[in-house]
Amino acid sequence: MASDTLLTTEAAPPDETEMAGAQEARQRKSRAARLLAGWRPLARRELAAAMVAGALGGAVIVAQAWVVASILDAALFRGAPPEALTGGLLALAGLLVLRAVAAYGAERFGFAAAMKVVPALRRAMLERLDRIGPLGLSGTPSGEIVAALADGVRGTEPFFSRYIPATSQAVVLPLGILIVVAPLDWVSALAFLVTAPLIPLFMALIGMGAEQRNQRQWRRLQRMSGHFLDAIQGIATLKAFNAGPRMVGEVAEAADGYRRDTMAVLRIAFLSSLTLEFFATVSIALVALMIGLRLMWGEMGYQHGLFVLLLAPEFYLPLRAMGTAYHARMESLGAAERLAALEDMPDMAESGAGVGAPPLPAGPVAIRFEDVRLDFADGRRALDGVSFTIPAGETWAVVGASGAGKSSLFALLMGFARPTGGRILVNGAPLAALDLAAFRAGLAYVPQRPTLFAADAAANIALGEAAPDAARVVQAARQAAIHARLEALPQGYATPLGEGGHALSGGEAHRVGLARAFYRDAPLVLLDEPTAHLDAGTEAAVQQAIAGLKPGRTLLVIAHRLASLAHADRILVLERGRVVEIGTEAALRAAGGTFAALVRSALAEGETPA
Amino acid sequence: MRDFLRLLRLMRPQAGWMALSVLLAATATLASIALMAISGWFVTAMALAGAAGVTMNYFTPSAYIRACALLRTGGRYAERIVGHEATLRFVASLRPWLFARMEAGAPATLQGLASGDLLSRLRGDIDRLETAFLRVLSPFAVALLALGPCLAVLAAHDGAMAIVTGLIILTGALIIPIILHAGSAASARRLARGSARLNALLVEEVQGLQELAVYDGARLHRARLLAASDALTADEQRLSQASSLATAPLLAAPHLALLGVLILGLPRLGNGGIAPAELPMLALLALATFDAVVAIPLAIQTIPTLLSSARRVFEVADTPAPAPEPAVPRAIPRSGALRLQGVGLTYPGASTPSLAGLDLDLVPGRRIAVVGPSGSGKSSIASLAMRFVPPSEGTIAFADVPYPALRGADIRDRLALMSQADHLFSGSIAENLRIADPRAGHASLCEACRIAQILDFIEAQPKGFDTEVGAHGTRLSGGEARRIALARALLARRPILILDEPTEGLDLATEAALLDALLDARPDLTLLLLTHRPARLERMDEIIRLEQGRVVARGGPAELARLLPPPALTT
Repeated sequence: MASDTLLTTEAAPPDETEMAGAQEARQRKSRAARLLAGWRPLARRELAAAMVAGALGGAVIVAQAWVVASILDAALFRGAPPEALTGGLLALAGLLVLRAVAAYGAERFGFAAAMKVVPALRRAMLERLDRIGPLGLSGTPSGEIVAALADGVRGTEPFFSRYIPATSQAVVLPLGILIVVAPLDWVSALAFLVTAPLIPLFMALIGMGAEQRNQRQWRRLQRMSGHFLDAIQGIATLKAFNAGPRMVGEVAEAADGYRRDTMAVLRIAFLSSLTLEFFATVSIALVALMIGLRLMWGEMGYQHGLFVLLLAPEFYLPLRAMGTAYHARMESLGAAERLAALEDMPDMAESGAGVGAPPLPAGPVAIRFEDVRLDFADGRRALDGVSFTIPAGETWAVVGASGAGKSSLFALLMGFARPTGGRILVNGAPLAALDLAAFRAGLAYVPQRPTLFAADAAANIALGEAAPDAARVVQAARQAAIHARLEALPQGYATPLGEGGHALSGGEAHRVGLARAFYRDAPLVLLDEPTAHLDAGTEAAVQQAIAGLKPGRTLLVIAHRLASLAHADRILVLERGRVVEIGTEAALRAAGGTFAALVRSALAEGETPA
Repeated sequence: MRDFLRLLRLMRPQAGWMALSVLLAATATLASIALMAISGWFVTAMALAGAAGVTMNYFTPSAYIRACALLRTGGRYAERIVGHEATLRFVASLRPWLFARMEAGAPATLQGLASGDLLSRLRGDIDRLETAFLRVLSPFAVALLALGPCLAVLAAHDGAMAIVTGLIILTGALIIPIILHAGSAASARRLARGSARLNALLVEEVQGLQELAVYDGARLHRARLLAASDALTADEQRLSQASSLATAPLLAAPHLALLGVLILGLPRLGNGGIAPAELPMLALLALATFDAVVAIPLAIQTIPTLLSSARRVFEVADTPAPAPEPAVPRAIPRSGALRLQGVGLTYPGASTPSLAGLDLDLVPGRRIAVVGPSGSGKSSIASLAMRFVPPSEGTIAFADVPYPALRGADIRDRLALMSQADHLFSGSIAENLRIADPRAGHASLCEACRIAQILDFIEAQPKGFDTEVGAHGTRLSGGEARRIALARALLARRPILILDEPTEGLDLATEAALLDALLDARPDLTLLLLTHRPARLERMDEIIRLEQGRVVARGGPAELARLLPPPALTT
């Protein structure tokens, strides 16, 4: 391929990484195949029914051939008058109906099998999400997870609806035809018997080489498609540098190079289907010639001869259908790979062993971390030796550079991750022994960018409640300084928000998140301050609302702004997963440590003291 | 229909290959049908000869049978090769065509494609257009070519046989699939709505995982999600039931035609005009004729999705360039001031302007910073300056030549932009840098990277400038990606540099060092810095504070305290 600067279709991996990639791809495929096979028993009954219907269809095909052969035999060689053939013709019509019924049944049951697996698989994957937990999932783009749960789950359908039924057909039907033909005409049966295994054998022989080339070509196609889309996504950048026309040439060159390479591969890849066609066709021709000769020599009856001839194409048909079935399998394997990736993620979430444990008593909550450590499965250490105690009712600010462990700390506190060392105490009781659901019911959490759900504004504030209390919703919105905005929406609090609904700005969405916390009136509030600069008015409103959350609650704030520190009784400073300082703002400023440095650089940058 | 004709026009350069492919496919199909029919005749004739105790010349028919077998096998192989050649040639012409069209309309063409969802849909649409020949056009053309001779042979023996077989084929392969498809369109729409709803709920469930865990203890959202999943399954079951109910009879159609031929032919045996050996031949011919139309139902099913794919692709391709090119462009001066006077920008469909009444005078050597929160209109200034969009009001000029008189490419020859959405292409660092200047030598790359504070990082990589950046630069940290984008903008060596949030993702120290290095290395640089972070603003000549598209304050570096919002601790 041409040496492009932008579309490096060929510049990519040298041979050994390609081989390693192929090895890895094979492992992923076999993992995906195991996942699919694991779900097979669930649809056992439907699959069995599909197989029976398929076998019935096969029996009808044999019967049709027999009836056609007998009608023609009677008419041509036994001189039967047309009236005498009416019975045969009626039988043929009846078989037509039976054939349609069998086909309908096979398709229905195959699809039913898939539809039994798909919803169950989706449930199982959603439960996986709970066990992996938000922190464990944080490294995976949410779009990928959604794609796995939607298209990934749905994509397993062809495996159950088409591939499994087709494989059983490919065994049962030829075998059945062979058993019927053998006693009548051992010569043709021998031709079938010899050629049938040759087909998969030759396909496999050619396939082994072709498969590897195919996979390489497939990866190349994906790479080229990927590069094309990459170029489209970067089209503004290309245009800014006047590099667009150059890229047009490179797209053309890449596609043309791909064509030449692919055709070289396809010429060989198609040999496998050529082999199949060749053996099937030559065998049919051979069977026809041999039957003809024996008929002329009087060694065979016409009825048997025509019967076998009619069955000859049917013998090879299910084998040929395996090609499309194989394609269905590949399609499903690709989908299942995504699911396997999700399934193989390590469980990180706190399992909440204490279901049914007594709930926390009402009132503010004290939090204690004792030498808490958190490691990711890949060895990264998020937190190490973290110890501190927050007395009930205090407000603490958590400060640290990005990656210092602030989010991990919050995730641990909410039970989204289980500590890999040490323990967390809530009012003196270990978090791991609590009833997680009950604990979370006494908790409010406001992320940087709260998720707005496709529901009305009131339901968004009273999240998780089937029947929101309208008066309390308004009260909470007032406290979060978002009441005026929501009331002014086209349908007030009944205005749908979220995807497809009314759009709110980031600052407004954050205040809806704050309103959630006020509505829940939880004794423990975890709040992640928005990092994006809000305009001055929004900023003041948000700060005021946060101050309003303090009384009577234990409040933890991930603070990004100097101004927010004013609320805090104490500041906890994190650096690379460790607590480096705890103290009041004044004390920490005076100490001249990490916090003082952070403040200094913020001030140097902004030139204005907070 | 217009979209379909346009698609055909796009395919015209490959018409020769496509015709050859269709011809080969039709030959192979006819050979396959003839194989069955001749075999039927041959077996019967041989049996008749045997019964009469005479011998017959079986060499000629057996040669025909062998010829048909070989023709079918070879024809199929050749057809596959030629058909794919035609398709891949089409791909090789469609992609550059589409890309060139999109580039002309960029970045407006991308507006709707920002989300990965729409982009993956575009990918599916392009795939579908690319396979249109093999999946849709070829099956119809082959059926038309192959049916003629088959029906003609039947008609030559018995007109009624041809009519019956033709009607069954017409019903089975064309009418029923069309009716079926029309009937299922409503259910398909419901299915699409159902899966869109499921998707939306899944997105919420995944994005709001933490909030739902905290607030939704009763798992109401999960219950809604599962209910939507089950409803979708039930709909799919119903749709599949309807479609198999309609398609199952089609499987019986070939034997129905055979039955018809037998009913018509049996009374005409003997003295009725049909020779004994001809009846099995005609029966098997009617049966095998269905080989010519096997791919038609699927092709019919594909047509509507193909057409909507074509429509979407053409829509993207036809997105007009927002700023039209002048018919007679004026030559652009080598250097000069970039001047915006009373410039406003309201995006189509937006109720409020993104930018209003902006005056800006960027004379050579001047450094202007525009500060303001995200969404305040800073990026609109960059788009206007690059002439990606024309202003809704006011005028923009370079060296006193108004923008509408200049070619867009010429303007972009004078301005380098490092935008917030700068794209890193999957490829090496060097390849990404050379987008700005394909002829840049190693020394220039090093120089640009040194100023962008990324040279040390690159030289520490085992492969140096040949390090792969990964899709969208994912193998780099956000800060590294930004610095490479900055180096790329520097490499372009344009007289004016526009930096849109250049330091996003960098820590404070790196940020300050980077701006210092840039300003020290290019003391005479003409710079427009768009930022929400206040680092090194004291080294600018003018600072403009923007809020909601309007200038709320402007002044020199001495007045910084008045111009800036309160500082942030971390980002």
